[in-house]
Amino acid sequence: MSEADMAVIKPEMMKSYIWLQTADGLIQQVEQEVAMFCPMICQEVIQKGVGSSKNYAISLPQRVNPAMLSLILDYCRFHQVPGRSNKERKSFDEKFIRMDTKRLCELTSAADSLQLKPLVDLTSRALARIIEGKTPEEIREIFHLPDDLTEEEKLEPLKNTTDDPRIRLLNRLYAKKRKELKEREKLKNAGIGEEHVDDRSVDDLLSFINGDSKMTKASKNKKKNRRRKGQEKNAFLTESMETDKMETNGLNSVGLDVEHGIDCQASPSESSKLQDMEEDILARKVEFDDGDMDDEIDPALKEKIDREVEDFARILKIDWPERMQEILSLGQERRPVHSSLNGSSSLRK
Amino acid sequence: MGDDFGPDLISDLPQIIIESILSRLPIRDAVRTSILSSKWRYKWASITELVFDDKCVDFDDRTLVEKDLVGFVRFITSTLFLHEGPIHKFQLISSYLQCCPVVDQWILFLSRKDVKELVIELGERAWFRAPSCLFNFKKLTHLELVRCEFEPPPFFTGFLCLKSLCLCQVLVSAEAMESLISSCPLLESLELSYFDGLALNICAPNLKYLCLEGEFKDIFLQHTPLLKSLSVAIYMSDDIAEYFEQGSTSNFIKLFGSVLRLEKLVGRIYFTKYLSIGNDPGILPVRHVSLKIIELYQVSFEDMKELLLVLRLITNAPNLTELHISGSSNTLTAVEAPDLDFWKKEYPWDCTLKRLKVAKMTDMSGLPHEMEFIKFLLANSPVLKMMSIAPFAYVMDGTLNMLIELLRFRRASAQAEMLFVQV
Repeated sequence: MSEADMAVIKPEMMKSYIWLQTADGLIQQVEQEVAMFCPMICQEVIQKGVGSSKNYAISLPQRVNPAMLSLILDYCRFHQVPGRSNKERKSFDEKFIRMDTKRLCELTSAADSLQLKPLVDLTSRALARIIEGKTPEEIREIFHLPDDLTEEEKLEPLKNTTDDPRIRLLNRLYAKKRKELKEREKLKNAGIGEEHVDDRSVDDLLSFINGDSKMTKASKNKKKNRRRKGQEKNAFLTESMETDKMETNGLNSVGLDVEHGIDCQASPSESSKLQDMEEDILARKVEFDDGDMDDEIDPALKEKIDREVEDFARILKIDWPERMQEILSLGQERRPVHSSLNGSSSLRK
Repeated sequence: MGDDFGPDLISDLPQIIIESILSRLPIRDAVRTSILSSKWRYKWASITELVFDDKCVDFDDRTLVEKDLVGFVRFITSTLFLHEGPIHKFQLISSYLQCCPVVDQWILFLSRKDVKELVIELGERAWFRAPSCLFNFKKLTHLELVRCEFEPPPFFTGFLCLKSLCLCQVLVSAEAMESLISSCPLLESLELSYFDGLALNICAPNLKYLCLEGEFKDIFLQHTPLLKSLSVAIYMSDDIAEYFEQGSTSNFIKLFGSVLRLEKLVGRIYFTKYLSIGNDPGILPVRHVSLKIIELYQVSFEDMKELLLVLRLITNAPNLTELHISGSSNTLTAVEAPDLDFWKKEYPWDCTLKRLKVAKMTDMSGLPHEMEFIKFLLANSPVLKMMSIAPFAYVMDGTLNMLIELLRFRRASAQAEMLFVQV
């Protein structure tokens, strides 16, 4: 419309305004020199000739909501004044940037869409300061990041190595843990089959002799079986942690023994150790089966045992990576693994 | 875990911004973001600046353990290996990490990554020998090497994009150095320090900043027309001094003959002595009209040649605004009777320092020629704003005498402030 065109060239306008429209439809007018500080707005005005009236307001990108626009305009309003000293500008920036992280991220996004590079740099610096020195958990919490990497992905040492010797040790232990878990799964599946067979034969015999009451006795025995095994393994693991620690030190001094991520069967001593453990487990199992039949357990002890078993199962299956990260973030403990295992029954979670 | 009180705030920012944030983090923190979430796994891998230093690993000063170094090496190797895309800046400054064969491999890897800025400074025990692949960095704009052996291969045609070169404690032959400088046509800034016995002939048409420090046998600025700032510190051992006695062309001419756009000059240690060697240059045909700041340290006011040289330098710079001269602290005993006639004889030069505003004299021992020099400055600087004089730390008795003499001097500038700095 010709009227609108002429509106651009009105010479008697003392203060010119530019009209901006945010994605939600809200239209506002802003002093020209302030708005033109944003390259994107500047471009729109010069190349497309919009922004001079309410009907031809410049549509701002979606990432610029009214709150962010207001902040950005404050920034522009200050900085577009040419006579300010560097000190003043820096001081303004420091105060300006103090806001919660959510707004900081939105502001970065909005400033980027308006191509306002100095503000993007300022907010990037502030975000970097927030991230620096924090643990992954803290960072996830601040930015609401989903913790969606699988344990294996987190455990791949190459990607997140900072080469803290504790992390290397823990990576090795994780690797062993995973192997053990797999082995145990296999054994359990195999073992359950066997146990069932045994129990059934025993049960048959007992029920033949005593009737149904003996079934409960047999199941109690099963639980005790597991508990004993659990304890044994507990002892095993603390032992193996210690030796592994010593081993790790030994291995490190040899040189570039690199854990290549997924393949954790690198060192022969480790795999032989696992084999040993396997054999031991089998051996113990056999012993238990023989010894358990005669024992009686009172209910209170049984409950305690159940709890311990549950705790322990949980430790083995789920808690490891998180617990380790927790411990790492606590910092300087030298024997994190050792202490956590010994206090298995007093674990939270 | 798995708290979910809000949408992800940051992962959807454009990659350029994420990279900008990550590049402001220490490299260790940046790489660690790979375990934050699945989106963040590889965000760090495309940052274009990799800066490694001793903070990447928890080195314990007291017990430097081999495995920490191995860990450090492994960290750098892994980071390079997992990185994708161009690397614009690679910096490795470590006092713990000594030179080792893997460094050559890193450089080979980097030579394929369009590196623009390369800085390497390793531990002191073994000097690193620059591998030939170093000379394949076609896009290099800034190179900084400390403690290395540097020998360009015969087919080397120069770093065509190099703007800034800084070599410190580098073993390189004079011919190699000269040919390197002249084969980098865009070179603007050159810094050479701690060189031994180097005789240099510098031909660099775009050179603006030159900083030299070391035992230089000879410096000839053959073709440096755009030079703006020159900073030279010359160490002299006795045999160098002998070598000099034989030369005849004035070093002053060799250095200043063609740097007519010079704006700032800083000379340290034996600089003025070095300049004074050779025949008296006389009054130079062309004046240094851009020279605004002169700083000369360890000027021996008992050596008449040096004194004459300083005067020539100052009077040849009509637009000089700031002058800082520091006396030589070795002259605690006068060797010969000072030739005060000199001042009367040489005085009638046209030597008004029309623009001199600030003059600082430090380490003054109250020597006769020092006082005469100050007198000369005060009498010839009509726009002088401040003259500051600081006595040499060990002159305890002479300060009062100095002050008494100073009070008497005539001042051409009514606004001149005299500051006597008490040590």
